[in-house]
Amino acid sequence: MHKIGLMRKVISLLFLLGVAFGTQAFVLCQQKDCRGVWDQGAMRDRHEEMVLHFQAMFQGKIIALEEPLRISPGDSLALHTLRFYLSNFVFLKNDTVVFEEKNSYHLLDLENENSLSLEFEEAPNMDFDHIQFKLGIDSLTHISGVMGGDLDPTKGMFWAWQSGYINVKLEGFSEKCPTRNHEFQFHLGGYLAPFQSVQTVSLSVPKEKNLLLQLDLSPFFEQVDWAKKNSIMSPSKESVAFSKILANSFSVHAK
Amino acid sequence: MLLLSACWLLSATTRSWNSNLLELVFPKYWPKPVYDFSKNPLTKQGIELGRRLFYDPVLSRDSTVSCSSCHLSFTAFTHVDHPLSHGIEDRIGTRNSPVLTNLAWAKHFMWDGAVNHLDFQALAPIAHPAEMDNSIEKVVQKLREKASYKNWFFQAFGDSTVTGERLLKALAQFELTLVSANSKYDRMIFGQEKYTEQEQNGYLLFQKNCASCHVEPLFTNHDFEKNGLPLDTSLNDFGRMKITKLSTDSLKFKVPTLRNIEFSYPYMHDGRFKKLREVVNHYAKTTALDRKIELQPNEKVDLVAFLLTLTDREFLFNPDFSFPQD
Repeated sequence: MHKIGLMRKVISLLFLLGVAFGTQAFVLCQQKDCRGVWDQGAMRDRHEEMVLHFQAMFQGKIIALEEPLRISPGDSLALHTLRFYLSNFVFLKNDTVVFEEKNSYHLLDLENENSLSLEFEEAPNMDFDHIQFKLGIDSLTHISGVMGGDLDPTKGMFWAWQSGYINVKLEGFSEKCPTRNHEFQFHLGGYLAPFQSVQTVSLSVPKEKNLLLQLDLSPFFEQVDWAKKNSIMSPSKESVAFSKILANSFSVHAK
Repeated sequence: MLLLSACWLLSATTRSWNSNLLELVFPKYWPKPVYDFSKNPLTKQGIELGRRLFYDPVLSRDSTVSCSSCHLSFTAFTHVDHPLSHGIEDRIGTRNSPVLTNLAWAKHFMWDGAVNHLDFQALAPIAHPAEMDNSIEKVVQKLREKASYKNWFFQAFGDSTVTGERLLKALAQFELTLVSANSKYDRMIFGQEKYTEQEQNGYLLFQKNCASCHVEPLFTNHDFEKNGLPLDTSLNDFGRMKITKLSTDSLKFKVPTLRNIEFSYPYMHDGRFKKLREVVNHYAKTTALDRKIELQPNEKVDLVAFLLTLTDREFLFNPDFSFPQD
């Protein structure tokens, strides 16, 4: 009897402590808008983040969707869609890994401003001179079953008829494209040999907390032979070749 | 007062959610499943949600066709009578629907292995214009409008938000439970029942001629093989080559399990044979195999007698697998 009574007291004390702590955390959370504190039940200073902000470029200019891009008279184009995965972010110093992002899958969509800023909470405290990431989704993730978040199949970046993520969706209009409405669609993907489309990108970076990650689409459009190839919808040799061109067109600059 | 409100707040954020973890039951001597249960642990509530989704035509564009339309429990989860399965608006596809049996051991899905994981399999029929003619985005949207599903998703995953990931994981959970391991063959292996002389002779013939592809105890090698069927030029289905683009994979199709074969007619990827006798005749005739199969007429009969011992009535009529009643 005595023991049970004591246990009850201990339990109710623990409960009160828990409530008190929880309330405090909740109040503080409201004040500072510190997302995640309530979930984790522990206080943590909000520390700065390193932000990689994405920009799509064409001939040295930042471009937006639907914006007409003139190459020469009679040769203009516009982007309708630019969506792609960046994954497996790794930070390095003198070729040694200092930080690897966990669950590192980011779907960037030019239509969705929020998706274009990649925040790395751990990074500001570290010293690094290089970042590495993949354009697309690696083979291991491809065979690991369904996943959520940016990898959820409802994001429109997964082929239903033949398993595989669409690493890059690049759609638009080109005056030179001999298709209906002059529209082109490049859906680049494929994880099985010999059409593995995922590409590793390695870039040296300045020591700044705000960085611009730019993808220059000029080389891509220079390589497209509109009469021959204006649409890719499945894993293929061309899918790999175009993925390589894009992977080589990234650069990082201080903001 | 402050404490009271805090108490209320706590209870609101910790709505009770308990899931009952379950383990897949199968004979001890079977190989280890290839499905990674750590990424999608089986729970009573997850399986139940998967079962509801499996039987719900809400998955199709006009809410007329469910998974069970082509995968009926009483016929080993396949579509009988039709050589090529039909879907929405009576549209006819290009292949014979496969049985859904012992999927925890399957490495490839669809006749050509187009799908690489059980989780992703449902995406194909949902999107196919001759099957459900829908998209996972639209299915999720439709389910989000249904209060009952919010509740069932909460019970299964501790969160009432319907997502593509959860929907596919729940469907996979139900399908994983479709284990067939109680046929006369299984009882013979365990010494609980004896084969007749004819069945035993058929079993020996099977082991000699068929078992290299239809490997026991699952009766498949989980691989793609050429079985000597001539190309049906009305379909021009080259099988595995469509996926790998390798000419060596031309006319290779996935080796199906033979479990419950008595009920899964018609046979082959395009359903060209209605009777088991026709299947056996094909194999005894074809010269396209590595080793010619020689069978006397009475041996063919014995072989079929053996194949019938792979029928698992407990599996076919398991109330846990049939339409959810409530």
